[in-house]
Amino acid sequence: MALITYREALRTALDEEILRDENVVVIGEEVAQYNGAYKVTEGLWAAHGDTRLVDTPISEAGFVGMGIGAAMLGLRPVIELMFWSFAYVAFDQIVNNAGCVRYMSGGLLNVPIVIRGPANGGTNVGATHSHTPENLLANMPGLKVVAPATAYDAKGLLKTSIRDNDPVMFMENTLLYGEKWDVPDTEYLIPLGQADIKRAGSDVSLIAHGRAVITCLKAAELLVAEHDIDAEVVDLRSIRPLDEETVLNSVRKTHRAVVVEEGKPFCGIGAQMASMIQEKAFDDLDAPIGRVASLDAPAIYSPPLEKRQLPDPQRVIEKVLRLS
Amino acid sequence: MNLKMPDLSTTGSPIKVVRWLVEVGDFVERGQAIVEVETDKATMELEALGPGTLLQQLVPVGSEASAGDVLAVIDETQAGSTVIGNSHTANEVSYHRDFLLNLYERMLLIRQFEDRVKALFLEGSMPGTIHQCQGQEATAVGVCAALRPDDFITSTFRGHGHALAKGLTVQEMLDELFGGVTGCCKGKGGSMHIGNIGKGMIPGIAIVAGGIPVATGMALAFRMRKTQEIVACFFGDGAVAEGAFHEALNMAALWNLPVLFVCENNLYGASTRIDQVMKNTKVSDRAASYGFRGETVDGNDVLAVYEAASQAAQECRSGRGPVLLELETYRRSGHSRRDPCHYQPKEERAFWSANDPIIRFAQALLVDGNADLDDLDRIQKRVDDEIESAVEKAKTTPKPGIEDLLTDVYAS
Ligand SMILES: Cc1ncc(C[n+]2csc(CCOP(=O)(O)OP(=O)(O)O)c2C)c(N)n1
Ligand SMILES: [Mg+2]
Repeated sequence: MALITYREALRTALDEEILRDENVVVIGEEVAQYNGAYKVTEGLWAAHGDTRLVDTPISEAGFVGMGIGAAMLGLRPVIELMFWSFAYVAFDQIVNNAGCVRYMSGGLLNVPIVIRGPANGGTNVGATHSHTPENLLANMPGLKVVAPATAYDAKGLLKTSIRDNDPVMFMENTLLYGEKWDVPDTEYLIPLGQADIKRAGSDVSLIAHGRAVITCLKAAELLVAEHDIDAEVVDLRSIRPLDEETVLNSVRKTHRAVVVEEGKPFCGIGAQMASMIQEKAFDDLDAPIGRVASLDAPAIYSPPLEKRQLPDPQRVIEKVLRLS
Repeated sequence: MNLKMPDLSTTGSPIKVVRWLVEVGDFVERGQAIVEVETDKATMELEALGPGTLLQQLVPVGSEASAGDVLAVIDETQAGSTVIGNSHTANEVSYHRDFLLNLYERMLLIRQFEDRVKALFLEGSMPGTIHQCQGQEATAVGVCAALRPDDFITSTFRGHGHALAKGLTVQEMLDELFGGVTGCCKGKGGSMHIGNIGKGMIPGIAIVAGGIPVATGMALAFRMRKTQEIVACFFGDGAVAEGAFHEALNMAALWNLPVLFVCENNLYGASTRIDQVMKNTKVSDRAASYGFRGETVDGNDVLAVYEAASQAAQECRSGRGPVLLELETYRRSGHSRRDPCHYQPKEERAFWSANDPIIRFAQALLVDGNADLDDLDRIQKRVDDEIESAVEKAKTTPKPGIEDLLTDVYAS
């Protein structure tokens, strides 16, 4: 075991996969010579050279589309977006070409591409740079959506995503890049579509992905200390494919559920979870399903308010207390 | 100063004087329309390049003139305070001293503003990220000086200079950076989205190239409403690689829209030098491939920028737009808050320091006798005082409350 950052976990995953498979190529703005805007790819260009780490112009539609074309012929491109917010420039490529082509080819053509980068608010950069598009992308059959909360998950999930034969939208978080967790020295993979119980509990299930998982873990500590409520934290890890069984088993045990996400509430991941849970475990519920999300407006710049727009432990706790 | 007939006709046919808008003996402002002329394509107004008194109308109404013909004589020594021999050798246009000092003050205001904001970031009292424009002041000031008050601009993540040049106040901008309700965007936009539509600047468009089609659409609106406004669209060299740039230029050309595309070529997009991301690094060449005029200009010479932008603005107003201006300049700050700028070679930085637009212009003002050191000191003091008092107020500007968070999302 070694205590490493989320950023280093992503980097070692890329490094190992570049070494393992000659088809892996990392493409994006400033990923090579500058070591990445957030230093995720630091040292990889020095180690692997120009053919494996490719700096691009500011042409998201272009290099995402090129990644898709190359993937159709068997390369495994890992496309870095400086921010997922810039993916909208490449939306056609992602939705139509990455998302639909396997289906339209009658299953003859795969697109084994990974598109990765940070998708988060909370850094006072305003609305256009704070988007969390996991719900938009998960709405597209053909795309997979992954959002790790810890370094351990980031590494295992990225390696699996690179080896996966479908397009994987990999959502990171700049506020997690510097956080440290224990990660095994030996190789491991984490399958897509396998949720993880980050904290076992008996009274309520807090269901989340990405940084919201960390928020839930903090809320769980306070709930037990101050209210004697024992919360279970379910980390979805991948939103699509979705591990319904782990979510449902947790709800069957605790009989209460609160879904927490940093995205916006309208048509959000929480809406999907709530509908799935009430459909499949209605009789197990002792209370309506609660939801906590970003407040429903574009991300505000003003710093004290931006913090309050995102879910925090206090809002999770209030929601839990209102359920019982 | 003579007002000459510009080269307006695509076919070379003569141009008719339709109406004089100013009487002999009248005082005219810089930019004021003096005469209405009609080409084979459009009717347009010609403007005074500087303030002064109209001495003579040389072409009577109904008569024709050709490009280069002198239409009117304006005496700029009668423009208020006296002119002390001023000259900009490029094309021997002379400018009123007040106009020149104004350009200087605007550039200095931007420089001091940016330096002060940087200090606020370093001391930890300002949040978020910043993209600063030290070294690029002449582009913003030169272009905006060529616009009329009712013209528009669009900007980017690096918008502080454009905003100050367009007339946003130091106070409304600092308040915004501090996230206050009194900010130009009520604390909702922040540094990368600064703007004030009341002053002709929509909020900064922080997605690279995103503002280029938007500006083109504004130009379409002017055209549909048959107004005389134009829009200047600022963007960086990095934007040239985005599809939006090409799509917008093509449509602007197709419909002759009154949009002035202003590429501030500062040699880098973030850390990446332009020759790593484009084979033809002459950005202005792109215009020809879409069928309109492009020009590369020394972007650190504020008068060269002003003149190029004035001509381009006139072309846009007369229905002969768009125009692409490539302004060669250099960013003396990091790309954003945390960028240490390692990638800019020492010699390159030294070259551009020596070529600093504010120092260059100050020297020209001194050499031409338009200003002495006392004048420059006085300006500096005025600028610094304005910024300092605004900083004090901005630090305590009230922040929006939670009730403000959900407002302004929809119009209805
Ligand atoms: C579509 C998009 N991709 C990437 C970014 C991140 N980004 C912000 S500024 C910048 C460089 C822009 O360079 P340039 O256009 O030359 O403007 P300059 O920074 O030199 O003013 C990049 C890559 C962005 N804001 N939008
Ligand atoms: Mg640039």
